[in-house]
Parts: sequence; C-alpha cells; structure tokens
Amino acid sequence: TSPAPAINKPLYLCSPFVDAALVKGNFKTIVMLPKYVDVNEWVATNIFDFYQNINMFYGIITECCTQQSCPSMAASPSLNYTWINQDRKSVQLPAPTYIDYVMTWVQNLMDDETVFPTKAGRDFPPAFPSTIKHVYRQLLRVFAHIYHAHYPQILHLRSEPHFNSLFAHFLAFGREYELLDIKDVKGTANSPVGIGALWERWKENGILEG
Amino acid sequence: PQASGKPADYVYFDRTTSGFSEDAVQRAKGAQLKLEHYYKVAVEAAIERNTRRVELERKLAADAMMPDERKQRQLIQLGKKESTFLRLRRTRLGLDDFRTVKVIGKGAFGEVRLVQKTDTGKIYAMKTLKKEEMLKKDQLAHVRAERDVLAESNSPWVVQLYYSFQDPMYLYLIMEFLPGGDLMTMLIKYDTFSEDVTRFYIAECVLAIEAVHKLGFIHRDIKPDNILIDKDGHIKLSDFGLSTGFHKQHDSSYYQRLLDSATGVQSPTAAARNSVMVNAIHLTMTSKDQIATWKANRRKLAYSTVGTPDYIAPEIFRQQGYGNECDWWSLGAIMFECLVGYPPFCSESTHETYQKIMNWQYHLVFPDDVHLSRESEDLIRRLITSAERRLPVDQIKLHPFFFGVDWNTIRHIDAPFVPHLRSITDTSYFPTDELDQVPEEPAGADSTGSNKDLAFLGYTFKRFTLNSTAF
Ligand SMILES: Nc1ncnc2c1ncn2[C@@H]1O[C@H](COP(=O)(O)OP(=O)(O)OP(=O)(O)O)[C@@H](O)[C@H]1O
Repeated sequence: TSPAPAINKPLYLCSPFVDAALVKGNFKTIVMLPKYVDVNEWVATNIFDFYQNINMFYGIITECCTQQSCPSMAASPSLNYTWINQDRKSVQLPAPTYIDYVMTWVQNLMDDETVFPTKAGRDFPPAFPSTIKHVYRQLLRVFAHIYHAHYPQILHLRSEPHFNSLFAHFLAFGREYELLDIKDVKGTANSPVGIGALWERWKENGILEG
Repeated sequence: PQASGKPADYVYFDRTTSGFSEDAVQRAKGAQLKLEHYYKVAVEAAIERNTRRVELERKLAADAMMPDERKQRQLIQLGKKESTFLRLRRTRLGLDDFRTVKVIGKGAFGEVRLVQKTDTGKIYAMKTLKKEEMLKKDQLAHVRAERDVLAESNSPWVVQLYYSFQDPMYLYLIMEFLPGGDLMTMLIKYDTFSEDVTRFYIAECVLAIEAVHKLGFIHRDIKPDNILIDKDGHIKLSDFGLSTGFHKQHDSSYYQRLLDSATGVQSPTAAARNSVMVNAIHLTMTSKDQIATWKANRRKLAYSTVGTPDYIAPEIFRQQGYGNECDWWSLGAIMFECLVGYPPFCSESTHETYQKIMNWQYHLVFPDDVHLSRESEDLIRRLITSAERRLPVDQIKLHPFFFGVDWNTIRHIDAPFVPHLRSITDTSYFPTDELDQVPEEPAGADSTGSNKDLAFLGYTFKRFTLNSTAF
C-alpha cells in the first residue's frame, strides 16, 4: 500500500502531533546520574522502567499489529529490520513476532540474576554496558516500528503526548549514557529510519538538547 | 485543509476509537495514567534524592572536626544506600518472599500476620487487604490515605511502612512489627489503669496525634485498637484506614472518576460519603448489663467492617464538616475508658451509641463508684465537648492533668508496661488463639485482574530508609 498522496510526511512529524508532550521541560532532571550513585545501578533501573513502559504502550496497539498488517518489522518505507536467528542468519520476521522476540529476550535478561543482579552484594557483570547497548538498540527498533506503522492508532487513542514523551526520554537517556549510535537512530542515506527526522525536529524545537 | 495561523504542516485528524476493542481503549487509558504517575514520581524522587545529598554535604561541610577522609566515606555510604534503593525497585517482592510466623490481628478488611522475609530473616508485620471488599465498601480512598500517611512519615509516633505490593486480589502492606500488642488488648486485660499509667499513654497519644496533624492529616479513627505498643512499651499509631489527607487522591470520588473514565462512563456528580443520622432519641442510661455486653463484644466489634463508633466525634456524623479537633474528642473517650473501664457512650448497639454521642451533653456521665481526680475529669470534659470548645493541642499539653510530664523526653523514659519478649517473634501479647478461623498463609491470587486495578495505581511502594537497612 502506498501512503495517502495528500500527506507527504509521516503524521508523527506533522503539527500539532510532533510537539505533543506529556513531560515539559528538560529531561536532565530525571536523566542525570545522581551524585555518588553507581552508574550501572542507575542504568539498570531506567532500562527496567523503559521496558515496562514500552511494553505497556505496545500492549495497547497489539491488536493492530498483526502478521497481516505488519508482515515485516518496518521502520520506514525503505527499511525492514531483520532478526539474527540461532544459526546467526538474519531473517525477516513479521513485526509482532519480532517484537515478541525482543520483549521476551529483554525480559529474560532482566530476570537473569547474573545480568541484572537484585540480591544484596551481587555485582553487575563486566559485559553489562555492552549488553545494555544491545537492549537499547532493540528497544529503539520497537519505537521505530510503532511510529512508522501505528501512529494513527496512537492518535485515535489520544496517547501521542505520552508516547512522544516516553520516546524523547528514551533518546535523552540513550544520549547521556552513550547507549545509542547515531546510525541506529537515523539509518543510512538509502534506508533512513523514520524517527531519525523526529529526533532532528525535537532538537530544533528544544524538546531535546542539541 | 489548512486554517490561517496554523503551521504549514498542520494536520487535522479525526479521532475515533470505533476500530478498537473495548479492552484496547481501557488499556490506553490505563497506560496514560500510569505514565503520568511514572513521571510525577520520577521527578519527585529526583528532587528528594537531591535534597538528601545536599543536606548531608551541608552537614559535613559544617563539621570542622571530622577528618575529610571520614566525610568522603559518609558520602560514598549515601551513594551506596541510594543505589540499594534503586536496586530494590527492580526487585519484585511478592507473597512468596515472606513466611508467615503467626496470625496476630484481624481488621475490617483483612488480617495482620507476623512474617519473616525468607532471605534476610527479618521480621515484619504484614497487613492483607482484599481489594474486592474495599471496592464494594468504597474504601479505596482510605487505603490510599493510609499508605500515604504511613509512607510519608518518618515519625516515631507512626508505624513505619517499608514496602507494599499487590496481586490481582489483595494489597499487602509490610510494616514494622510492634511486639507489644495494642491498647485494646491491654484494656481488656487490665480493665482500668491508674491515673499515672493513664497519664503516660494519653500524653504519648497527644504527641502522636499532634504528629499526624502536622503531617497534614486528620486520623478520624483513633481508638485503642489502633494504638500499638512497641518493644519498649511506647505507643505508635497505626491504621489510617479512615484518615483523610488533603491530597486529591484521598477523595473517594476521585477513584470513582478514575474507574469511570477508564470505562468511558461520564461521572455524575460525586456522591457525598457521609450519611446523616437522624433518629429518635432514647434516653437510656448506661447500665452494668450494657457495659458487660459491650465488653464481651469488644473484640468482635473490632473485627467487623462497621467498626465501633464509640470514639468518633459527633461532628463527623453530621454533614457540616469538621477539622482535626475530632481526634481530640476520640482521645477524651479513650482516656475515659482507661480510667473508668468502658468508653463513655458504650451501649448494646452501635445505633444507640450514635444516639448517645449526638446527645453527649446528656450521656457523658462519670459513674459514682469510680473515683477520678478533679484534673482528669476536667480534661475529659474539655475534650468530650463541642468542637469549638474543645482544647487545642498546646492547651491540652498545659492542662494540670499532665503536671510533671516532660513532653520532650517522654518517648525516652521507661514505659509503665514493658513487654517481656522471649524472641523477636514472640506473639504472646496478641490474642492469637482467638484468630483460628483465619488461614495461616494468605491465599494470594493467581487469576489476572480487571480494570479495577486502575484504582490501585500508585499503590506499590518501597521505602527509602536512611538509618536502617530494610530488606
Ligand atoms: N505493625 C503491627 N505490629 C503488630 N501488630 C499489629 C500491627 N498492625 C496491626 N496490628 C494488630 O492487628 C490489629 C488489626 O490491625 P488494624 O487495626 O490495622 O486492622 P484494620 O483492618 O485496619 O482494622 P480496623 O480498620 O477495623 O481498625 C491491631 O489491632 C493490632 O493488634
């Protein structure tokens, strides 16, 4: 299906939706590492919260994200994410399957006491930062797909201020702790990520810092 | 279509939920509320964390004697505590993290158990509240209020709440365990107290009630069952089930609106909660028989959902509003009971008690066979009186009955009854043998909940403790 000709850019980049926000003001207050606090602990807690919140929002549109509506994990007209399967092959998956894999994988990591320790006296593993970068990259893809494929539904359900703020917070946090690669956010010239433009726009209007 | 004054990329979008299932619409509403709550709490937590750090840094800077190395260690220590607290947020505590040692109490909406946290071995009191019961009885706002009072206070006069969690059927409050039982149990055991003993408990209650008022709350339900005794024999207030704070969440209609908006129902005007009691007046006097019946039923009354009205001020039953003076009335009734052996308006039925309270002028009678000092009778009469004439806290403290009380140190002096405890799990001060109909282990829930959970939003709570390492 081709996009409606009247709209030459995605809805999430159009006024007034692009500026809709639940959280006003600088994200620094809630992103900055509290002084004297262990950075791994801080990142772990925030990842935990991002996961819960993204899961919650994906939960409201799951009925619209089906094998039929979303046969691939699309993030723009020219970008489909692929999943690396057990044989290390990259495969195309329907978006709901892909997202289910991501969420299950992250949930299992968070429940794994050796990756996300919760017991007193247990430390984070040395590989924790790189694990988190992987997690962040996959969660970004979930955002990218929802923005690309399900934004009208978010609008129908009047959730765009909430969803925008969650994503802006996610970007601000990712930037602060270097969890995001620019190329993941923007994609390449040939296959840009839809939300890359959103990031630019939010930097322009001050929702995010430059 | 483009209107003047709008940006070039302005888009009109016709919103409709017609293509969605009822479930999705409700979930969207729920997600919005939860996210709003999440950001509100996130900002508050950041501010509080900052305050804790700045306070410590300031305190250390002002201390010229302390070596720098020790100051550094204290700051690192604070960072560790903050980190542990963050970790606690990721830790999902549930029913299976606690083992019941014994059922120790029963209230209107559930039971209180002595529990042990399995991994640390620490002892707590766990209160179980059945959600369904509370929804039915419109008690939601009360629960929220209870949690807030307990959670916000660091007061030595209020039972500390460490942790709360929920499953689809129950709410669980994990509190500090007070091994000395409650004042009701003590009164059942001793019948009356001497004036000295009464002075001690009533003076401590004055400070406790004052502390609650300073937190911005009216307790509204001060009674001997809610006055708990700690390991040293000093008192703490529990059960803010009926207290009304000034947060909007404490308004019952707030919850109804929350549920209604989630189900798409447009809320009508909020129904008033308090019903008016207009009934014929019976001028029967308290007889020995009535007192005996009352005493026999005392504990049963404590377990019933209606509760006992014995200590409630008359203005609460009227619909014309009330202030925190109502708690001083309750204290007057408790003081009467400590000295006389039964509360001033006790009757065979709660209905009759209401009547007597509404006409307290005729029913406040000091029996001839009990000797009371002039001071104690006077204080009681200045508490059990109309709201305008009731003594305010500073005058209560100056009343001759309290002559000799050092208000600043009373919590540190020796209490008249210090519980003799053989272990940290000693429950001999609780009427545990009267609670055999209560299951040893709470049932818990396995089914998944409905939209009703929305009303319990924000319920899960974890305490930041600076001076003790809870969990
Ligand atoms: N923290 C605690 N430590 C020890 N015992 C407790 C604690 N909290 C409650 N209890 C015991 O359990 C009894 C019932 O508790 P509580 O009054 O809080 O229940 P409730 O359901 O709120 O009852 P109600 O609303 O009828 O007063 C108390 O009278 C007391 O004996």
